[in-house]
Amino acid sequence: MKYICSICGYIYDEAAEGTPFEALPADWKCPLCKAAKTDFKPEAAPAPEDTAPQTATADTATNTVPEADLKKLSAGQLAALCSNLARGCEKMYKEEEAGLFRELAAYFTKITPAIPDADVEKLASLLQGDINSYDSIRAQADALKDRGAARVCVWGEKVTRMLSSLVTRYLHDGESLLAGTDIWVCTACGFVYIGETPPELCPVCKVPDWKFEKIERRAKA
Amino acid sequence: MKRVAVRNLRLCTKDCICLYVCPTGATDTENSIIDVEKCIGCENCALACPSSAISMVPLEYPKQQPKDDAMVATLNTLAQSKADQEKMALQIAGGTSKDSLYRLMKAIAKSERILAEDVMREAGFMLPQSHNAHAILEELIETPPTPDFPAEAARKLMENLPDNG
Ligand code: SF4
Ligand code: SF4
Repeated sequence: MKYICSICGYIYDEAAEGTPFEALPADWKCPLCKAAKTDFKPEAAPAPEDTAPQTATADTATNTVPEADLKKLSAGQLAALCSNLARGCEKMYKEEEAGLFRELAAYFTKITPAIPDADVEKLASLLQGDINSYDSIRAQADALKDRGAARVCVWGEKVTRMLSSLVTRYLHDGESLLAGTDIWVCTACGFVYIGETPPELCPVCKVPDWKFEKIERRAKA
Repeated sequence: MKRVAVRNLRLCTKDCICLYVCPTGATDTENSIIDVEKCIGCENCALACPSSAISMVPLEYPKQQPKDDAMVATLNTLAQSKADQEKMALQIAGGTSKDSLYRLMKAIAKSERILAEDVMREAGFMLPQSHNAHAILEELIETPPTPDFPAEAARKLMENLPDNG
């Protein structure tokens, strides 16, 4: 029997490894991307424990924008829109314009209204809501033959699963999660990795390790 | 389509052949950025560079692919969710003195922004020179969300990046 990491695609082959997947300890992690054991799915079999219906239905309603508001983008959306165009300018080697778009992005980040009652549990349920929505977004993209939107779903779902997995681990392990180690973000796709050094290649989008950025500890006031 | 050479400073190992092959001296600058005024787009430098550090980029970018409205609506909703999660993570990071929680939330906020950027790109904002991007900038200048909106930056962008239709 083979088990596949839903984040990076690593295959745990029981025949080759010698240890049955079930016998691995609960805190066993994907050797490639360090996803949790629960992020593995048996090969080519529908994943029964993956549906998580109780969190799904309740939370998707909280994060939708009315469709009539399509033209009017929120501050949060405009922040991402502008920082995305800043990246576009960087890729075209237009430094000045990249800086101007970053300035606009910073402005929108600043005026984004606070979310009431922000806490880790609520964040966990929003992440789960997104994970549940990817299948239908992907179906829509495939029906329209929109390769770009389909790719957003492939990377986005993997990264979102990783975030969800890390938040779940934090809720379980607490402060020991990052004790004595570092946390890195892939600046190309957003994949988050815990370890002393970043992976040689991003397990999700395959960029080299120098594209990873380390998150620094809070500066002492 | 007119092209010019640009050097990726990250890949460039400095001080080699591109200086010698350029007919106009465009590659010989004190800040290592190829002089676009001098570059005539002959591609000599890009072909000669041993580190593949030079690319030829068009001066005018092609029009952006059109997007389906319903797809855009779906992607906007997804981007809003990512933006909400980013905000939430920043709020949690701002309100904690715990190191693991702080760094995890900072990492998540950064990741969520990258995810949202990627979604907005596919929701019709791929090119800074696109008509969509221009329309947004114009609207923001006309009706700024708050009085301290940096209208000057927006104006400069519209000027520097001509609408490619
Ligand atoms: S040839 Fe390439 S690596 Fe050498 S200095 Fe020029 S750009 Fe840099
Ligand atoms: S493309 Fe030709 S003119 Fe332009 S910098 Fe390279 S060698 Fe010089």
